This record gives sequence, structure tokens and C-alpha cells, in this order.
Amino acid sequence: MVRGSRSAGGDRPARRWVPWTLAALAYAGFVVSAYLTIVHYRGYVSPCYVVQGCETVQTSEYSVVLGVPVALAGAVFFGLLFYFAVGLLRSSALWLVRAFKVLSFLGALAVIPLFLLQAIVLKAFCSYCLATEVLMLAIWVLGFLLAAPERSDARAERRAARGGAAAE
Amino acid sequence: MSGSGAQRAARASADGGGAFVARVAPWAGATVLVVMAVALLYIFTGAAETESFAAPPVASEDISHGPTEPELTIIEYSDFQCPFCAEYAGWLTQLREKYGERVRFVFRNYPLADHQWALFAAQAAYAAHLQGKFWEMHDLLFERQDEWASSSDPRPIFDSYAESLGMDIEQFHADADAQSTVDFINQQALEGKEAGVTHTPWLVIGGESVLPRSLEQFEKAIEERL
Repeated sequence: MVRGSRSAGGDRPARRWVPWTLAALAYAGFVVSAYLTIVHYRGYVSPCYVVQGCETVQTSEYSVVLGVPVALAGAVFFGLLFYFAVGLLRSSALWLVRAFKVLSFLGALAVIPLFLLQAIVLKAFCSYCLATEVLMLAIWVLGFLLAAPERSDARAERRAARGGAAAE
Repeated sequence: MSGSGAQRAARASADGGGAFVARVAPWAGATVLVVMAVALLYIFTGAAETESFAAPPVASEDISHGPTEPELTIIEYSDFQCPFCAEYAGWLTQLREKYGERVRFVFRNYPLADHQWALFAAQAAYAAHLQGKFWEMHDLLFERQDEWASSSDPRPIFDSYAESLGMDIEQFHADADAQSTVDFINQQALEGKEAGVTHTPWLVIGGESVLPRSLEQFEKAIEERL
């Protein structure tokens, strides 16, 4: 635990596997997004496979938003999540848990338009894109396991504060 | 400083160093993993994939360009609506000019089900072939892929290409819509599928399937086999 910072987990036994799993998922997301970014900048188009529509998704007008390739934004985002998850391996500081929660929530929100674009507008799915979306949702859901002790600790703190005030 | 004091200071210094290493190690490890991933991906996405492949032998009805007894044969399974095939078409035009007297370029159809107009485009190209204009139509279809692939009905666009190539439009329609044309295309795709083609473009150069990622890699693959 980082000295001087409040713990999100208090004295509860830490779920060591949670930050490890989050780091692994975020790293996997980073690798896939980095691959798509490199393919984009090197000008490579994926071959057209019999059972997937990667080339349709990768070459669509939606693959670049405001001049930034979606793949690059994904790589930066998963990279950030990875570093936050690495931070969570050593510390359960409240700010770190909250920052991770906010980031993963934003990521999960971004999944909605990205999935709908593939399903409704492009009518084609890219397995790499779907993989990053599943990873993002898994990170968001798993993030709740970090959040649960924080809420109960906060309630306990409030209860203690009310009890102290009543005793005075 | 007394001896025991010096030992305590040394221990504290060692403890401080250990704590520093413990603090820094995860971040350093994470950064190494990130850099390593980017470096490996950069190296491997640039590599041309090669494996041995037994394509159906070249037959008289195959659409081809180049000598009948070539030094090397290149067979391409292609889909007119595939963006990567369009990229390849530009490279192949240059390679046909450069190696056209030594290399035979064979075009085979492999229209993918996901591509709405791929079969129609293949029919138009085959109809052009029957009027001796296959490669001209092939180049037009790939150069203007964005134009017809996103349209609600590409047939009038194909007609305009046929007109620009000076083709007989009535004959073009009849050939494009003929069952024998559809059968020819489907037969090529079926044989390709049975041989193991899983994506387009699928290139077979001298008995090996190769997926060059640039014109330079393409040229190198030819030079190595000539």
C-alpha cells in the first residue's frame, strides 16, 4: 500500500488475482489495438476472409475519427488501463481505484457506438475489433470487484463518524 | 561514526535501495512489455507469409496474361470487391508490364459471400473477357471499386465501363447474365476452396502461396523464383 494514501480495501483480504487479471486483459487489449494501429499506419489492408469482414471495418470512413485512427485511440486507452492496473498490483489507493473505474466505464461506453457501427451501418464484423470490445467489457465488469470494498468502507467510515458525533 | 552506526546506515541504505527497486520494477516491467509488443508487432506485420500450396493446374479456359510456356506462373484468386485485391491490382499492373514476357499471370475468381456485388462484378469481367477486354475491365473495376461497391445497383455502372471500352453492350449483357458465366465463376471459386483458399487475394507463385505486403515484397517473391 502506498504510504499516506487511503486504502480502498481497508483490512479486508486483498483479491490479488483481480489486478493481475485486469493487467493481463488490458495488455491483451493493448496488443490487439497496437497491431491494428501498425497495420493502419503501414498502409496494410487485411486480406478478405471468407467468414469475417475486417477489411470492411478497417477501411471504412469510421476507422478514423477527427483525424485519429480508432485503433490508435484504443491502443493509448488500453495502455493507460494497463499502467493503472500495474499500479493496482502495488497499491489499492482510493484515487487509483476510482481512476481505473472511471476509465473502464468510459471504455465500456465507447463499446456501444463501435459495436452498433459494425452491426447496423457497416453490416460487417472485424474479429480484432470484437476482441477489444469483449476485453473492454470484461475489464469494466471485473473493475466492480475493486469497487465493492471501497463502498462498504466508505459506509463504515460514515457510520463511525456519526457514532463519534453522537457520543460527543 | 561507530561501527554499529555505520552498519545501521548501510542497512538503511540497502533497505532504501530495495524499496526503490520494488517501487520501480513493476513500471519498468510494464514498459518493457509494451515496447516489446510494439517492436514484435512491427516486425511481424511487415513479413510476407509463405507456405507450399497445390493449386489446380492452369487450364486452357483460365484467364491469363503472358507466355503459354512461362518461366514462372502466378495464380491469383481474387474478389473484385475486396479492398486488398484492389491494392494488389495496382501492383499487378506494374508487374505485368515488367515481367509480362517471362511470367504468366493467371486470374481466378473467388467472390466472397459477404461482398454484395462481387459476383456481379466477376460476371461483368468474364463478359469483358469474352470480348477480349478482360484486363481492361479488371483494371477499371478495381480502380473504381469505391464507385460501384457502395452503389445500390452497380449494373448501370458496369455498362458505362463496357461502353468506355468500346464493347458490344447487348452482347455484354447476354454474356454477363448467362448461366455458363455464373457456372464458370462458381467452379473456379469451388476449386479454390477445395484447394485451401481461405481469403483474397490468394497468390500462388511457383507452387507456394505468398502474401506480399508491398510491391517490393511482391517483386522480391518473383525474382527469387525466376
